Amino acid sequence: MSITSDKNLRGIPMKPYDMVREGLIVFSTIAIIVLILAAFWGFPGKNYWPLTIKEVATKAPIAFLNRTVTYFDGTSGLQTYGPPYTHDNANAQRIGPFCPACWVGVMFPLNAKVDLVMQPLQQIADLNPAVATALKTYQQASAKQQMAWSQAYTAALGKAKVQNGQVILPNGDYGPVQVLMDGMLKFARAGLLEAALTVNTNPKLAPYNTDYTRAFLYLGGNIMNTVANHFDEPGGNWGMSHMAGPYPAAWWLWPYTLLYQIPAIGNLPNADLVAFLIFAAMLGTLIFLPFIPGLNRIPYKIPVYKVIWRDWYAKYPSGDPSKPATK
Amino acid sequence: MNIDKALQKVISKYMTLEDALPTKMPEYVNSFGYFFGTATLSSLAVIFISGIILVFFGPDWWHFTKVGAFVNAVHFWSVEVFYVAITLHFTFKFFKAAWRDGRQRTWMNGWAIYAITIFSGISGTLLQANWDAQWNSQQGKDAFAAIGLSWMNWLNYTTVLTLHVVFFAALIVLLVAAHLTFVRSESPVRPIVNEGKDENEK
Repeated sequence: MSITSDKNLRGIPMKPYDMVREGLIVFSTIAIIVLILAAFWGFPGKNYWPLTIKEVATKAPIAFLNRTVTYFDGTSGLQTYGPPYTHDNANAQRIGPFCPACWVGVMFPLNAKVDLVMQPLQQIADLNPAVATALKTYQQASAKQQMAWSQAYTAALGKAKVQNGQVILPNGDYGPVQVLMDGMLKFARAGLLEAALTVNTNPKLAPYNTDYTRAFLYLGGNIMNTVANHFDEPGGNWGMSHMAGPYPAAWWLWPYTLLYQIPAIGNLPNADLVAFLIFAAMLGTLIFLPFIPGLNRIPYKIPVYKVIWRDWYAKYPSGDPSKPATK
Repeated sequence: MNIDKALQKVISKYMTLEDALPTKMPEYVNSFGYFFGTATLSSLAVIFISGIILVFFGPDWWHFTKVGAFVNAVHFWSVEVFYVAITLHFTFKFFKAAWRDGRQRTWMNGWAIYAITIFSGISGTLLQANWDAQWNSQQGKDAFAAIGLSWMNWLNYTTVLTLHVVFFAALIVLLVAAHLTFVRSESPVRPIVNEGKDENEK
């Protein structure tokens, strides 16, 4: 045996053993247990399909238009998100000067107005002359005029009605914005928006586009939160450790997701950073536990080991094999 | 200096054939406390086998075929069993104070494996291509940005797939191999002597 084993096992009585056989027995047992669980319960969560932009545009057109117009006029959270998307650090999570997000910086620059709305509108304009005209009118107007149209349109959306799938707005001066937004809605209803967002990430790579970030981001915010509330899945509901349906999924994350259930942490603007640091401290404590005075004595104070090695202590009460029990 | 010779020397000193494939064990290795490491390793093997099958047919296969759904369920349940096993494993190791006699390395390496499996599990969840995955990636992007990990683009499905099936998987294999090497080279920890009274002087 190795020099370490020789040193550790000096004076210890040995017994015959077959490691590979034991390993195979345990592996077979575990494999059978897993196969039975899988056959009996399958995938226990409720497997809801992903939320598509087409579905939102069809079933909740006003929600879709509301989200789209926020990208269009620059009022969405994505436009002031900070790193990794925008250069403004005001909303980056930090504790005093400690701001890992700021240090990483803008890895994936995102101009939500251009990337999520204007680029698809250019493509829609190629297909639809009315949208092309409206786009030209919009681009030739002053920034002030553009904002006035968007604001009037946004306010009108609050009073909008849906009849036979058509969004009916009260009369008002929306300039070309209503035509542009209707163009986006039709495009989304045709199921083309995710594909356009993905291709526009890198048009030169068209058949090789594999980055779906923009399509994932589009429905973020109110729309996804509404759906998540419907399934009892917001962050205050055990987050990652809770999947759709009645079952826990990643129950081993409970120590982490528990932190979000504490209002003093969960309601902080920098909750993610605070929760992670606490969780990292828990893990760090466990990693360095052998060196932490007091904690490394707990196993001697709570003598579970006497049960684990009960046969050994019956023979050698002190644990030392050179001092057998006297009969 | 002959490198092969030097390596031979190190291996024969720290990992003999009797260490790698033991035919005898100390008598105190006689308890459930020694079972859960093997159970953890076994469930990890089932995770890898089912995961490799899923990789061959692509991450959306399980949505459309009965066989795919079953393999996905095996992958899911083997992960659940893995965490039950690893929880029992480290609980028993804690109550044995298994870091004694210079085995701190094994304990620390084990927790490093645990930390990596958490990231591996999250990346796996994001690959499900269902509402849960979509919602978790949306929620997760804020957390990953906050802790300075946004450079691993967690919203880029291809990146997440690669992280899950190559990067985290390889890290786990490497660290588990190290864990087993430490354990076999150092032999199982002996029972506590004199209720641990002499332990801290070591």
